[in-house]
Amino acid sequence: MVNGPKGLLEIMAKLKILEFPDPRLRKKAAPVEVVDDALRVLIGDMFETMYDAPGIGLAATQVDVHKRLLVADVSSDKSEPFALINPQIIEKDGVTVTDEGCLSVPGYYESVERAEHIRVRFLDRKGEAVEMDAAGLLAVCIQHEIDHLDGRLFVDYLSEAKRQRIRKKLEKERRNAAVAL
Amino acid sequence: MANSGARTRAVAAEVVDAVVSGGQSLDAAIAEREERVSPTDRSLLRMLCFGTIRKHWQLQHWISQLLGRPLKKRDSVINALLAVGLFQLYDTRIPDHAAVSQTVEAARQLRRPKLAGLLNACMRRFGREKIAEQAVADEQARWNHPQWLLETLRKDWPADHEAILKANDSRAPMWLRVNSARQSAAAYLARLADDDKTAELLEGIPDAVRLTEPCSVEELPGFMDGDASVQDAAAQIPARWLMADRPMRVLDACAAPGGKSGHLLELGGAGFELTAIDSDARRIERVRENHARIGLDATIMVADASKPREWWDGRPFDAVLLDAPCSATGVIRRHPDIKLLRRASDIDDLSALQGAALSALWQVLAPGGRLLYVTCSVLATENDGVVQGFLETNDDAVEDTVLPNNNIRDLMRRKACGYQVLPGTAGLDGFYYACLVKKVS
Repeated sequence: MVNGPKGLLEIMAKLKILEFPDPRLRKKAAPVEVVDDALRVLIGDMFETMYDAPGIGLAATQVDVHKRLLVADVSSDKSEPFALINPQIIEKDGVTVTDEGCLSVPGYYESVERAEHIRVRFLDRKGEAVEMDAAGLLAVCIQHEIDHLDGRLFVDYLSEAKRQRIRKKLEKERRNAAVAL
Repeated sequence: MANSGARTRAVAAEVVDAVVSGGQSLDAAIAEREERVSPTDRSLLRMLCFGTIRKHWQLQHWISQLLGRPLKKRDSVINALLAVGLFQLYDTRIPDHAAVSQTVEAARQLRRPKLAGLLNACMRRFGREKIAEQAVADEQARWNHPQWLLETLRKDWPADHEAILKANDSRAPMWLRVNSARQSAAAYLARLADDDKTAELLEGIPDAVRLTEPCSVEELPGFMDGDASVQDAAAQIPARWLMADRPMRVLDACAAPGGKSGHLLELGGAGFELTAIDSDARRIERVRENHARIGLDATIMVADASKPREWWDGRPFDAVLLDAPCSATGVIRRHPDIKLLRRASDIDDLSALQGAALSALWQVLAPGGRLLYVTCSVLATENDGVVQGFLETNDDAVEDTVLPNNNIRDLMRRKACGYQVLPGTAGLDGFYYACLVKKVS
């Protein structure tokens, strides 16, 4: 029996984050058809996973759920959580360059060019269609996460040589970790 | 998307480790690595690095309490990361949960995932057991200075050493030098006020303006055109002092990065001739840049002050400014890494160099001319020690004890010969000055 917010927290689960070059990160996600309780539980789990990492954004693709859904919170005190279902960028302007990192490419940060301002249309947790303007880090984060839903990673914006170097290092690290276990 | 905060902590740990274990200077260590941090995080990076180095002994004392046995030498970067982590908990307004999570994540970025748990445990215990509130018996940890420097300061400044130690661990204010050839400091103060920047003047140092809040130079009115420069007010005393009797041909030895020679040019006027030399070819470029910005010219040469035969044309100078290479123990608040990089044995070596430079430059000074010996050290061995030794062996040298103005006297301590400004006095850096006159035979 679960009741109240504390009970809800107890059933929330941290999910495993896929890491580059896992082929599942390349799958294109399908639109969400119904916003129901099951989806809301997934959103809760994704927030928990993201905060624990710690990260500022997480796409469903990264936890091996291939639905168009992402969560983000760029505040330092967990005060601005956003869940975006079926997000679509409908306007973009300006250019900004940010040092991006990714929970699926742990430990690497590289400069990526993105739009500085975006207007994004999505369904909220209640399933209602909303539009929102985002700028700065939040705008960058949403663009980064929508890329995930399309099977794209920030390392795709880097040179082939750099991407291969990162891939080899991560594979080696994972082998070493497996040996250590 | 991952947060760049952890990256900033990881780079901060690498910078601190490069200074503590690698002996690199803090400025160079930051310059080499700051490109890896996003531009918005660079002021945080500097704050973490400067703070952690400033509080090095105290933080290491806590780390030794928290760790049962010290980390292995090859994990020195994690020791540095733990210091960065404790500094955030102790001395910043970063929320504790953010400091802990970002610092722990940084361990993974530094390829030490197995030590992440240890960092987490240490940082949480630090807060829980209120370790920062416990009394510290160890003198180095209590004063955040190495033993040799504590002892030397106590010997040289029996009544003032505690004030010096405290000043060394505080953050220095931002001082400007207003280009008096263009406008007065009071007029510039009004321009700053138009930009909503508050600042104040200081009696006795006429071109100096102290900003209430530091800012980037691009925000300063007329900075790019040379209306003002960034320079501690104590470093503005030498040019005013030397120019008080209007010399026409002046040498600035050891001129880089060119702050004081720029000031000499601003005060020089028509027909004034300045020769600026420095032995460091790279640093002499900074002199050129500084002079170009204020739009004034000097003869600039890469040359060794202690070997005039190699560069001097034989025409004597009316005045010489010798801003001698020194321990920089007067500017520790701006360069806290000095406490880690200097060794007790450096001081005697420096004093020998300073004495040699003084003797060599005496040869290029015209009879009746004045030489101002300046250091940013507070140690007697490099200051009155050097000048006293010189006066004893040179019959044609005599000290000129007259200060450039009366208000300046309140800022100075009289030494056996020469004068000292102690760090923190009226917000100034620590400097030593001795003015010597060459007798006309």
